[in-house]
Amino acid sequence: MADRERMFKKAMEVKYTQEFGTNQNKGGSITDKTAKYLRLGYTQSPRKVEMAAAGAAIAKKRGLAAYNPMMHCAGIPLGQRQLTPYTISGTDMVVEGDDLHYVNNAAMQQMWDDIRRSCLVGLDLAHETLEKRLGKEVTPETINHYLEVLNHAMPGAAIVQEHMVETHPALVDDCYVKVFTGDDELADEIDKQYVININKEFDKKQAAQIKASIGKTSWQAVHIPTIVSRTTDGAQTSRWMAMQVGMSFIAAYNMCAGEAAVADLAFSAKHAGLVSMSEMLPARRARGPNEPGGLSFGHMSDIVQTSRTNKEDPAKVALEVVAAASMLYDQIWLGSYMSGGVGFTMYATAAYTNDILDDNLYYNVDYINDKYKGAAKTGTSNKVKATIDVVKDIATESTIYGLENYEKYPTTLEDHFGGSQRATVLAAAAGCGVAIATGNGNAGLSAWYLSMYLHKEAHGRLGFFGYDLQDQCGATNVFSYQSDEGAPLELRGANYPIYAMNVGHQGGYSGVASATHSGRGDAFAVNPLIKLCFADDLMPFDFKKPRVEFGRGAMREFVPAGERTLVIPAR
Amino acid sequence: MAYKAQYYPGATSVAANRRKHMSGDLEKLREISDEDLTACLGHRAAGSDYPSTHPPLAEMGEPACSVREAVEATPGAKAGDRVRYVQFADSMYNAPATPYFRSYHAAINYRGVDPGTLSGRQVVEARERDMEEVAKEQLETEMTCPGLSGLRGCTVHGHSCRLQEDGVMFDMLDRRRLVNGTIIQDKDQVGVPIDRKVDLGKPMSEAEAAKRTTFYRVDNVAFKDDKEVVEWVHRVWELRTRYGFQPKN
Repeated sequence: MADRERMFKKAMEVKYTQEFGTNQNKGGSITDKTAKYLRLGYTQSPRKVEMAAAGAAIAKKRGLAAYNPMMHCAGIPLGQRQLTPYTISGTDMVVEGDDLHYVNNAAMQQMWDDIRRSCLVGLDLAHETLEKRLGKEVTPETINHYLEVLNHAMPGAAIVQEHMVETHPALVDDCYVKVFTGDDELADEIDKQYVININKEFDKKQAAQIKASIGKTSWQAVHIPTIVSRTTDGAQTSRWMAMQVGMSFIAAYNMCAGEAAVADLAFSAKHAGLVSMSEMLPARRARGPNEPGGLSFGHMSDIVQTSRTNKEDPAKVALEVVAAASMLYDQIWLGSYMSGGVGFTMYATAAYTNDILDDNLYYNVDYINDKYKGAAKTGTSNKVKATIDVVKDIATESTIYGLENYEKYPTTLEDHFGGSQRATVLAAAAGCGVAIATGNGNAGLSAWYLSMYLHKEAHGRLGFFGYDLQDQCGATNVFSYQSDEGAPLELRGANYPIYAMNVGHQGGYSGVASATHSGRGDAFAVNPLIKLCFADDLMPFDFKKPRVEFGRGAMREFVPAGERTLVIPAR
Repeated sequence: MAYKAQYYPGATSVAANRRKHMSGDLEKLREISDEDLTACLGHRAAGSDYPSTHPPLAEMGEPACSVREAVEATPGAKAGDRVRYVQFADSMYNAPATPYFRSYHAAINYRGVDPGTLSGRQVVEARERDMEEVAKEQLETEMTCPGLSGLRGCTVHGHSCRLQEDGVMFDMLDRRRLVNGTIIQDKDQVGVPIDRKVDLGKPMSEAEAAKRTTFYRVDNVAFKDDKEVVEWVHRVWELRTRYGFQPKN
């Protein structure tokens, strides 16, 4: 099986045997161990040439030094080796590396915007309060009216008072509220424009699983304006939602704005049923809810929607989660919130470019299906029992296959130039493979750590100082049931004790959490409400295919929300 | 019978080389003069005194302390040297050393060292004269091939890159290069030009590098073929995993 055609072959040929820009990178084979280093500098890359010109123009205009690629290494610019493009995994999109920095990529920004600006709030408690405390009648008609009012008010419009200023609708057109419910009869009676239709968005089995989980409860999926969220922070999301929800209930149900009973409604409608995307962080990290540090791997898995559209391909589901989570946790959370700069992009891109991780995981799928009687196919009755021997077997096979790829294909080694990149890719492949085969996230996590150990001994190196110290000690907490040491993988997140500064890992962990459920064909990983919140094509970022979206962002084809062009001078 | 350290499992040449690096039982292959070493390290001018951060310990009137009595200070600590570093990058194309085994070598065989292990480089920090002792041994022995390894304080990129057409590991800062069959270095660890051309010796042939390497490669000694090492890794992983579970508690 090891002689199969490698999925990364085309990407490696594009990158290392074909000219891109003026890098004169032509000919040779992706298995060559030597290369001609032409030291052409930054001018071989069209994007860097554009950036250098922009930097020079800025410096001239403002009279203050700006970007100048010749500042690098005291006059030795980037590009002493060939500057090469990246293929977005699972696509034919070839992009410049610089365009995968989130600052240069509007799709990446919008993905995080769309998560940060979203929250869920239950309708049932509010309806009970309206009926029992305030004596109001709640019917499908009143709900439809309330939702019309709410979609007027949520973007920042007045609904009760006089003398109010309002936000311009064209600046906040990405803001809206939809509802979903496990009660099919109620869903049928609500105006379709407001409904996330479980029966339409999920297949029959997944829809049944979701409805069994949420019962007949009803929820609002709220997305406040991107521009608001960007100007404030994630913790603002529920506050903005709460103000507009409160005012909309008052208006829609003709209530007194000041009576004490409204306080009961305020609590029940605005706060009691609130579900944020992520938890607030302790003071030492100083972030409120809906910031990436508190986002669990399970929630991240549920935010990505590939599990709905590619159910029969559990590896693809996991790979899309790896991509989205690597971008968010590595490029934005650890790369910017927790540190700053440029380097962290390279940890993430290794996991979602050039099909190297894809190749390893699909190899695992074939291996598992062959050896464990189709255990990597989507299903629940075909899973193999999660034992030490199974983890050992699959993780070892996966890791050695991946290690030998780096040895047989020097171009893949050069592409994943850092050990931390290689370690994450190999461990993610092993972890996702075991998770798909067993349907057990912690078994997948166990495979992750075995992969790290094998990698370190094989190559005599792993990641950088702060990267692999967690991987040296992590095996002991995989199955620990003590609350300060262990937790199901789906409930761990970016602020889990030994993961908190764990660059390069969290996207992979999310992939393993996702694979656990994609292998089973589950509708969701940990929270059906989160899955439903994003089961909605009106979102600017398409959560069904994050990798394509990142590619569109890099190719400058993605149209983000929250732009200010309406209210600034044309340029 | 006195205990004899085993250092590392495995029945292959790679495992045997790892045991040599760890034990310090190394073959000397070349001579690097003290002045050349000092120039390449770039911490002080060749031939100058060691700068110090404190007076010699003997002059400091240290307090009574059982630890101080039990552990003799290293020469560099006694003299009050600064803590400085030596950092190597080693190619994944059969360079003799790998980062972890450079670290094990330093930690097992020297006192007062602080090894740091990354994927593309390995640093040892110590009092300056103590560090130089480690650096000299690593440079002069079979731990280092001047073509496949390099002294690199920054911009270390190269360990995973394809080799240059002349078989030398890529160095963005071009600190050293192959000249008439030998490796000549004319910049220090961080790429600042030095006042001499230091001859680091001949690069190993492909066959010699393959024989001396501590790196498992499928085209030389495949990791999976060293059954004892793989079994040992499995055992370490399984015991740590089971220890964390501890259901009886």
